[in-house]
Amino acid sequence: MITVLFFGPVAERVGASRLEIGHMDGMRLGDVRAQLQQRYPQAFEIVSIAAVNGEQARDDALMLSDHSELVFMSKFSGG
Amino acid sequence: MSDAVRIQLEDFSQDEEVKAMRSGSPRMGGIATFLGCARDFSQGRQVSEISFDAYASMAVAEMRKLREEAIARFGLIDARLVHRLGVVKAGDAIVFIAAGAEHRAPALQACQWLIDELKERVPIWKKEITPQGESWVTPHP
Repeated sequence: MITVLFFGPVAERVGASRLEIGHMDGMRLGDVRAQLQQRYPQAFEIVSIAAVNGEQARDDALMLSDHSELVFMSKFSGG
Repeated sequence: MSDAVRIQLEDFSQDEEVKAMRSGSPRMGGIATFLGCARDFSQGRQVSEISFDAYASMAVAEMRKLREEAIARFGLIDARLVHRLGVVKAGDAIVFIAAGAEHRAPALQACQWLIDELKERVPIWKKEITPQGESWVTPHP
């Protein structure tokens, strides 16, 4: 199982802060992104940063292991 | 003593943060601080409150990295970073940065660098609450 988290403006557009997706062998970051982008196009209009297990992930080819935690985020606005 | 890097719902005391920093080393000749506050006016609208959301575990990890990087890069003796979450009223404190060094120049430079990097790298988002409604803030360069 892959846990996907959303925060702030992205969570508001998705209408949820957490989703779970079944893990498949050979699954990559780009696969999950494409799947969710289709389901939540408005949210993904503002997604510019992804993180896998707490680290920024810039490569959609990154392989995902089971129990990974993914986050799709918009540009930060703290401070 | 409180952790040098924190995100928290409650307000903080600048005096306590500086005191904690000063108690760490008598060699500190300069401490530069930055206090970020919630403005009551933004983009032509009154703002009554600001609400913060964060990817907390990554935010704290990233703030710890920033602290370590600033210490190494500017030769600091110590640095502290505190950011509030939840709802902050207009005029209240949001973020506090302190950089302590033997001399003023690295302290001042590190303080500026830390707040600039925090805005770029720490996963926190703010939503302005106005009498006309609420809207997430889109960062500008």
